[in-house]
Amino acid sequence: MRYFRLFAPYLRGSRLRCVLAPLFKMLEAVLELFTPLVVARMIDLGIGAGDKNYVYKMVGLLALFAAVGLAFSLTAQYFAAGASVSFTQRLRSALFGRAVHLTDPQTNAVGVPTLIGRMTGDMDTVQTGVNLSLRLLLRSPFVVAGAMIMAFTVDANAAVTFAVVIPLLSLIVFGILIATIPLYDRIRSALDGVLLTARESLNGVRVLRAFRVERLLTKEFKEKNDRLTRLQEATGRISALLNPLTILLIDLAIAILIYRGAVRVDRGLLTQGAVVALYNYMAQILVELIKFANLVITITKSIACAGRIGSVLELSASQRTGSASEGDGAEAIRFDHVTFTYENAGDATLRDVNFCVRRGETVGIIGATGSGKSTLIDLIPAFYTAEQGDVFVFGKNTKDWDPASLRKKIAIVPQRSQLVKGTVRSNLLWGDPNATEAAMIEALKIAQAYDFVMEKGGLDAPVGQAGGGFSGGQRQRLCIARALVRQAELLILDDSFSALDYVTDAAVRRGISQACRDTTVVIVSQRTSSILHADQILLLEDGVCTPGTHASLMRTSSVYREIHLTQFEEEATAHEA
Amino acid sequence: MKLNRKPTLRRILRLVGAYRFRITVSLLLAAIAVAATLYIPILVGRAIDTIVGAGSVEFSALLPLLWRIALFAAVNGLSQWCMHLLNNRVAFRVVRDLRNCAMAHLERLPLSYLDAHAAGDSVSRIISDADQFADGLLLGFSQLFTGVLTILGTLVLMFSINYKIALTVMLLTPLSLFAARFIARRTFAMFQKQSETRGRLTAFIEEMIGSKRVVNAFAREDAATEEFNEINGDYAKFSLRAIFFSSLTNPTTRFVNALVYAAVALVGALAVIDGGLTVGILTCFLSYANQYTKPFNEISGVITELQNALACAERIFALIDAPEETPDPDAVLQNVAGRVDLDQVSFSYVPERPLIEHLDLHVAPGSRIAIVGPTGCGKTTLVNLLMRFYDVQSGTIRVDGSPITSVTRESLRANFGMVLQDTWLKAATVRENIALGNPDATEEEIIAAAKAAHADGFIRSLPQGYDTPLTDDAGVLSVGQKQLLCIARVLLCLPPMLILDEATSSIDTRTEQKIQQAFTRMMQGRTVFIVAHRLTTIKDADLILVMQDGKVVEQGDHAHLMRTGGFYAELYRSRTAQE
Repeated sequence: MRYFRLFAPYLRGSRLRCVLAPLFKMLEAVLELFTPLVVARMIDLGIGAGDKNYVYKMVGLLALFAAVGLAFSLTAQYFAAGASVSFTQRLRSALFGRAVHLTDPQTNAVGVPTLIGRMTGDMDTVQTGVNLSLRLLLRSPFVVAGAMIMAFTVDANAAVTFAVVIPLLSLIVFGILIATIPLYDRIRSALDGVLLTARESLNGVRVLRAFRVERLLTKEFKEKNDRLTRLQEATGRISALLNPLTILLIDLAIAILIYRGAVRVDRGLLTQGAVVALYNYMAQILVELIKFANLVITITKSIACAGRIGSVLELSASQRTGSASEGDGAEAIRFDHVTFTYENAGDATLRDVNFCVRRGETVGIIGATGSGKSTLIDLIPAFYTAEQGDVFVFGKNTKDWDPASLRKKIAIVPQRSQLVKGTVRSNLLWGDPNATEAAMIEALKIAQAYDFVMEKGGLDAPVGQAGGGFSGGQRQRLCIARALVRQAELLILDDSFSALDYVTDAAVRRGISQACRDTTVVIVSQRTSSILHADQILLLEDGVCTPGTHASLMRTSSVYREIHLTQFEEEATAHEA
Repeated sequence: MKLNRKPTLRRILRLVGAYRFRITVSLLLAAIAVAATLYIPILVGRAIDTIVGAGSVEFSALLPLLWRIALFAAVNGLSQWCMHLLNNRVAFRVVRDLRNCAMAHLERLPLSYLDAHAAGDSVSRIISDADQFADGLLLGFSQLFTGVLTILGTLVLMFSINYKIALTVMLLTPLSLFAARFIARRTFAMFQKQSETRGRLTAFIEEMIGSKRVVNAFAREDAATEEFNEINGDYAKFSLRAIFFSSLTNPTTRFVNALVYAAVALVGALAVIDGGLTVGILTCFLSYANQYTKPFNEISGVITELQNALACAERIFALIDAPEETPDPDAVLQNVAGRVDLDQVSFSYVPERPLIEHLDLHVAPGSRIAIVGPTGCGKTTLVNLLMRFYDVQSGTIRVDGSPITSVTRESLRANFGMVLQDTWLKAATVRENIALGNPDATEEEIIAAAKAAHADGFIRSLPQGYDTPLTDDAGVLSVGQKQLLCIARVLLCLPPMLILDEATSSIDTRTEQKIQQAFTRMMQGRTVFIVAHRLTTIKDADLILVMQDGKVVEQGDHAHLMRTGGFYAELYRSRTAQE
């Protein structure tokens, strides 16, 4: 229960309900335990004496037990449902708050699909686990133990059977449980394998058919499917023992119980009604034990899920952050001997990077796939922080900035155009929550997005999940508009024109350079043409940064020259034409 | 759901027909188990009747009864065990057969079907629908059978012993069913509301966590959390209702059961006092009263499960019944020189939106054809037609003079090497991925292909080199690196014709320049179709097709097209206009 302390705060508001739910469940169980005694009395005193009034009285008592039991158990269900739901609500909210604040290295370590899973499926399992625990965790053992105790109060000698049967039953039920739990895990992973192959053969259908290897996957599927079936059958063979064995044991125990009871009755130490009561107690045990075993399965699953949730909650803000909220000086960005290595990666992605960008300058970053361009710009808004060297933005070390204040000064157009469900307006408001309508229209116009937005119904045109309803190029332009609305001091364009055709690309660039005269602009690109006129160009190669200008790099860097010429060749031909 | 289920049912019967012997035995065993289960309380009752009082216990009658209890307990246990084993076997194997059948069918489905149906949907048909079908139908059926048998058996036994108590039980028990049904109907709407809100919640989480970068970049963490809390609050509200109201079922049915129990106790006890019933039989009745409602509750659950299973079966059958590709002819395409002719080819994905119309194209062996044009102009469609992923609606495509519909798809595709923009990799090692089209390739050949594609370097820097396992969506490789692997894959099997559909779109120009060498060697003497928007790749082509809205609007080589000054020239100039 290493996570208990972690979760305790979220239970706090439900403490009373967490006590009341099991309490009422137990009260109901007490009534159930008394029922066989009432029946025994009815048989011995009512029937035995031919006293119909006594029979009426006992039956009335049974009906009363039923009604009060109902009231108790409804109360318990209400408290259990309430407690488990509020607990999970609080936990889920805390987890979401934690998740959006995770640093990028942490997010990458956990994985986005995993994070989503924690907040949805895992959370529901935990909720069921808490709910059922509150209802049954105490009740079932209480009924089993209670039945035995009651049996002992009826007749200690005959009740010895209980003391033998209960451990044996537990052994069977939990033995099968323990034997099958790991098998069920293996079944699940085997099923995942089958699923993966099915999905693969669908997603890769073109390639598979082009290389004529469809059959390979079908064969792989069949093998995995057969393995799954074998596992399921093997597990089924074990769990198929549960019912027959437990019922057999109980039936045999009943036979023995009756015999021992009969001997006691013959000696005048016990009544017929008492034997019936013992028989009834025996029947009660089995139902509760099976319920308990199922509960244990649910709880085991819940604990596993809770553990996973806990491990995310435990992630603390390991990244150092400061509280600076304003910058100073004439420098916009300065990298001072920055070396950066991703966790679990062998080689450094950036090696001893040094450069300085003054306010209002435009800087271009160019380099091959995987040369460190994205890493470099990720360091500017402090998505990552460098462990060696320092990054200064607007005169302050990013480690001293309050991340939110820093990011308020920066507008980013990410490589992947991500929009959220809502309207064009709601998406643009991400850039600046106080943006005026006129500012938004202006931004759309610069981003060459005005026309298609108007066509789709203007600022209130709906945007589907992940930008649904808009093409890739349109999404990219909306992302550019969103960044422009922010009117930030620093604009970062991370390969942001990839989905635009040349004409639109040029128009957007022109618009940005006119509208953002005083803004520091960082442009990441794979082509020299986009950064040709930048005040400064950073050439990245295998994490090594060479600052310069187009003219100086053309002179000094063979790599830059090569990049430029391979791209310029076609332009040259175009000019000729 | 008032669909006609008869054909589905008939198919299911045919499907499980192979297991009919096992199923018959299983049902027989179920009947034996039910009989034993019902007989034991009677034996217990009789045994209790021998225990009259002090000194008057009839041990001579009691002992045989107890032995009989033990015997029937053993019979019950054994038949239940065998029944479970048989049921498991049938259920698991039917699912297995169904899955294998669906998967084998998938292999022969035309791409028009696969493109029109979300992969996730087909996967869920093969995986979870098959599971639910087997669980619900086979296990559900066996439960239903046992349940009905238990109810009928109990009724017959009770009526044969004491009709008054039997009537009491028979009349009161349905109450618990009504109560359960009533609650279920009321909670259904709440569950719907809950799952609706869950959908909203999940979508929101996926969106915010999926684009967490943007959330952070625009410092929207608190705004997002606030919005989340609102949906979370709604979800909690609906969950509470759904959970609480559905958790009323058990206490309520237990309450009704307790009332039935009390009623049986009353009627029975009075009957014992008036004579005509023994205490033992009363005990037997009481235990019947306890057990009797159980099958009812189970049956009502089973019926919804059966309906669900039928719906699932229909979904799998719909997949299995989807028409297959037209069968392949026997002829095989061999010794291809690489001549490709398109005569009056027309094609559209949907009849309302004609795409390619009356396209004529004649490609000499060994020539290089570039296809350019804006997104959605039909470039990729041409690839689909050449590879016979789709069939033309009219006109003919010929390779070396033979219509491509006159040869097997396999032999046609064997003559094309394809690199697509969409870089799909199999969940396998790097080596297996490169050797996908040529599983017999030697280690040297694989490494040579990787080197030619400039992939050898980064492959060696991977944790396990060529043995590094890859998955399609895991971020071990960048898109550019994946593309290099796809190129290596084609380099390893080099057929006479190549299709490069934006094959280098994610590779930076410098690396592209480097692999150009390999490309040039690869293209030597081969017919190559290139779809690209990078103009360097296009410029040297023997023939450039400029496509717009499914039509070839211009064709000719670079110099010719620039001279004519049409769409291509405009596209080309705008490329440089910005600088």
